[in-house]
This record gives sequence, structure tokens and C-alpha cells, in this order.
Amino acid sequence: MSELKETLKAQIIEQLNLEDLTVADIADDAPLFGEGLGLDSIDALEFIVLLEQNYGIKIADPSEGKEIFQSVDSLAAYIEKNQ
Amino acid sequence: MGGKTKLENGVSELYLSYGGLITPLGDTVTENFENMRSGKSGVQKVSESGFNKEDWPLGKITSLTSENRYTEILEKICDALIENVGNEVLSNERTLIIISSTKADITALPSDTFTSTRAILKKKLNPAHAPLIISNACISGVMAINTAADYIIADKYDTVITIGIDGLSDFIVYGFQSLFALSDQSSKPFDKNRTGISIGEAAGAIVVSNKKPENGAFCVNYLGGSSSNDANHISGPSRTGEGLFRSINKTAERSNIDIQDIDFISAHGTGTLYNDEMESIAFDRLNLNSVPVNSLKGYFGHTLGAAGIIEVISTMLMMEHGLLLKSPGFEEQGTTKKINVLSENLEKEIQLALKTASGFGGGNASLILKKSL
Amino acid sequence: MKILVSCKISDQGVYLNGEIQQKYAKETDNWKKDIYSKLELDYPKFYKMDALAKMAFIGFELMESVCSFEHFEDNDVSLLFANRNSSYDTDLRFIESYTEKGSPGPSLFVYTLPNILTGELAIRKKWFGENIFFIQENFDAEFFIDQINFYFRKGSKACLCGWVDSANDKEECFLFVVENTEGEITPEELTKYYKQ
Repeated sequence: MSELKETLKAQIIEQLNLEDLTVADIADDAPLFGEGLGLDSIDALEFIVLLEQNYGIKIADPSEGKEIFQSVDSLAAYIEKNQ
Repeated sequence: MGGKTKLENGVSELYLSYGGLITPLGDTVTENFENMRSGKSGVQKVSESGFNKEDWPLGKITSLTSENRYTEILEKICDALIENVGNEVLSNERTLIIISSTKADITALPSDTFTSTRAILKKKLNPAHAPLIISNACISGVMAINTAADYIIADKYDTVITIGIDGLSDFIVYGFQSLFALSDQSSKPFDKNRTGISIGEAAGAIVVSNKKPENGAFCVNYLGGSSSNDANHISGPSRTGEGLFRSINKTAERSNIDIQDIDFISAHGTGTLYNDEMESIAFDRLNLNSVPVNSLKGYFGHTLGAAGIIEVISTMLMMEHGLLLKSPGFEEQGTTKKINVLSENLEKEIQLALKTASGFGGGNASLILKKSL
Repeated sequence: MKILVSCKISDQGVYLNGEIQQKYAKETDNWKKDIYSKLELDYPKFYKMDALAKMAFIGFELMESVCSFEHFEDNDVSLLFANRNSSYDTDLRFIESYTEKGSPGPSLFVYTLPNILTGELAIRKKWFGENIFFIQENFDAEFFIDQINFYFRKGSKACLCGWVDSANDKEECFLFVVENTEGEITPEELTKYYKQ
């Protein structure tokens, strides 16, 4: 699971063009939206792309994303459950 | 009634007249108005226009033949200007050209996307001065007119030709698709069932001058304009409509009019949930709930850098003909605050018209027109 | 009009008010993040800005580190910006996202307009003033002075101006704040600040 999380962090940085961030900069449980990384609803759309392209998981309704994308922890848990 | 102009510096009046109009509804100002009046829409499903080959409704100019849509549209608007305004004015020392475009010749990438604009303008219009280019998202067109006014009030020029233009491209369509912002039906601004925008392409030209047109052609007075940033989000509008609220207030103050004397609003009205909601909130905060309002985007699509210009031209046409055009796509109120969206054409003489625009980057802009005496 | 503060970032280094700032020297390719860290800012939105917006943001924060803008109210400042290449770098990256990386990227698309950087600055300072972005072939001091005078005539107390450009590995960032007070600035003087 921790390997998945490290991979996810790298993918988030790549997908969202967070060029100046490193994997070490993102804590597993840090909030990704609002505070924390300051991501917003546009970035949530990128997570939808990320899930589909890298893990084959499709989220049809963008509004479901809020809970799933809260942190790397919640994202990893969702992927493990739905792959 | 108000409307005594507040323009300064010895310039007492500024006039706007038609330079040209190239849209999915026609190649002349007259043709466009006839089609709008009879309720035609230039927005149609375009097969395989989406990233996954979806058929998105788009405002496509179907008469274009060249591979480069943008440059062909630009050449056409230049031809219209030559016919309507004349070479003498276009290349006069006291004339400036201002272009408003969000992406210009986007298909030129990785080469520069503005080179062909400068080259075509130079070749066709032979201007005395290098044209200015405004690229400020969807408020560019309104800002071009406001900037034109600035230059004339400062007595740097007598005439400024403002040209708003954007062409359809995969870049734009795929971009808005990635934001889930496109509607799978032609956009329905302010309607309860609206789901997004329909992109369009167009070019429009307005002549801004300190003199009425010599040939007696129709013109309106420009009283004032402004912009204001939402300071909230780079792509979503303020939930309180703060930037638009402030811009309309500033514009009314500069125009020396009472906001309650506005008798028509040409709104931005893109058809997204958020934009239209925001606009209704701003209009409500200003007690403009009963003023007839429309969005013209159902006729042409959302034409981005051209929108401000072609929608001001359309407003001028409504003022000229004493006819307010219905807001295509509107059937049932869909905003929290009630505003008076036109669901049918309405014969009405308009003295004071407000144009608003909002765009990415948190921009909001507005201007006020008055029927010339 | 009077220049309150200016910042120039070029290959030569980082200048504030015409003086080179050794502590903010551009040492690595990650210089924007380096300066962000040195300024000890807490603004996570920085990380998702594109290169143009990051440069404008850093240039502005550098100016604010030596000059206070607190006496300006939220309607007082107009943002007047221009560049040569629009959002060139980000445009190419957006195209790459759908031609090579599988699907068009929304977080890139929102930065494919040059004026987004003015939005970022307005958000940072909660400034509701006027804003405009021009595309020009070169930095034109006389043009900027004309524009500033227009906005002063219309009631602005100050203009935050900038020439911020990035294309083909060539980056330029010149920001300056002009206050509506006594005095004149000539195009030659303004050009001198630009040419550092």
C-alpha cells in the first residue's frame, strides 16, 4: 500500500504539473484540497483523468470526487477497493 | 433620465458605428440581424468535434473554405472594414486599430500565434500605426472598446477601429471539454436546465470615434466603461458577483447615469451553472431584476475574444431597430435571483444599454451605450 | 507619477529598485521555488501556477518584501500587463497533454491565457481594481506610461505593471508599481529599469 502511495504522489505531481514539489513534500494524510496543497475543483478533474488513465477506474460524476480525493490515504484506499 | 456624458478632456461625445460582422449567421451586419430577428441560431452539432469524437454543438461558420479558419475570418472582417469604413480612414495617421483575441492563430504553434494577425492587418488595412492587441480572456472585446475610448479622450487618436476575433480549434474545444464545461445541446443561458457553453467563432468590428460617421450611418454614444477583478478564483466566477457588481457601479458612475435608468442589458450569459448564477446575483444586488436582459450566445455560440464586440454590435442593432431579441435557449428561470430574461422578441425603444462580460482570470468588464440624438 | 518599487528578473539575476539582490540569485533551474522558499511564504497555490504566473507572483512578492502596499484600498490598484508570447509555454504543454499524454489536461488549460497571472495577483492581494493584458512585440515604456495615465485619469491610485514573458527557455520578468503622485517618469527612465 505504501508503494502505491509513493507512486500516487509522483503521479499527482506529474498530472497536476506541480513541478516544484517532490514526493517528500506530500504527507500521506495531508489535505490535498482547500488548505494543504491548495488544490481546487479544476484540479479535481485532473484526479478523474489520473484514475482513469493510470488505474482504469472511471468516475462519471465529478462531484463524487470530493471525498475520494481528500488525501493520498483516501485516494489509495479507493484504488485498492475498486481495481 | 440622465445620460449627459461625463467624458472629459474636451472630448464631449464618443460614437460607436458598425465596422463589420462575420459570424455563423452571416457576413454582414444586416444579414446577421435578419437571421437573429427570425430566431435562427448558428449553433449546430459538429460531428466528431470532441476529443473522443463527440458531436458537440458549436457556432461554426460553415462558409469558410481555407484550412486556417482564423486567418480567413480575419481577412473577411478586413474586407468588411474596407467596404464600410474606407481606406482613407483605415490608414489615417489619427486612426488606431485594436484587436481583441484570446488565442489568435492558435494552429500556428509552435510558431508565434500573433504574427499572421499583424501581417494580414498590415497588408489589408495599411494602418499608420502598429495595431494594439488585447488578450484578456472573454472580457477582451469590451476592454478593446474601453481602451479605444481612453485613447480618443487623451486626444491621441480621433478614430479607433476595434476588431474582436477568435476561430474554432481543437485546442479550444478540447480545453473546455476537459473542464466539463461544454453543453451537449446548444447552450441555454439563465435557463433552469442549462448545462454549459457552446463555443463559436466570429469576428466583429466597431468604429469608435469622436465624430459621427460622415455618411450618416447609424451610431450610438459610448458613455463609459470599466473592468474589475473578482479577486477570487482564476477560472470560476465570484459567488457573490463582486467584480461584476463593482464594474457596473464604476461604469455607471463614469457614465454619469443612474443605474435604474438602464433599460436593457446584454449579459455575458454563457450557459454554465456558475456564470449565469453569478450574473443574476450581481444584477439583483443592483436592483436590475426587472430590466429586460438577454444573452446572445445562443445565436453565435460563445465567441471568446470576439464576444464583446459582436454582442455590442448586436445591442446597437437592437437600439437601431427598437427591437429587443429573445435570449435563445431560455425557457424557465434557472437562477436563484429572478431577472427578466427575454423569452420572445420585444419591440421596445432603448435609450440606455448596459453590456457586461466576465472571463477567466477573474475579469469582469462593462460599458454603457446611449441612443444618439 | 512615481515608481514606488520595481523588480527585474533576468539572466543577470534579481534586481530590486535597480540593485542586484545576491541573496535571491538564480542558482538553479528551480529558481522560482528557491526564491519562494527564501521569502518564507505560505501560499500553496504557488505550486500549481504555471511558469508565467509563478514569475509574476515571485516578482510581486519580492517587491512587497521591500515596499508596503497596505495603504492601497481594494479598488485603488489597476493591473496593466503585457508580453510578447502570450501563454506560449503552457499552450504547448496543453497540446502535448492531448496529443501525447492521453487526454486534455484541465489544470493546464486554465493557464492557456496570459492574463491568468493578473488574476493570481488580484487573488493574492484581494484587489478588485481594473485589469488588462496586451500582446506586444517588445516592452514599450511609452505605451505603459500612456496606459498608466489613462487609469490614473479614471481614478486609480496606483498601477501594478508588468512585462512577464516565457518562451523557448527565455524568461523575462519586469514588474513595477507606479503611484499617482507628483512628478513625471520619462520613457527613457522606465526603459533603464527594464534593461537591467
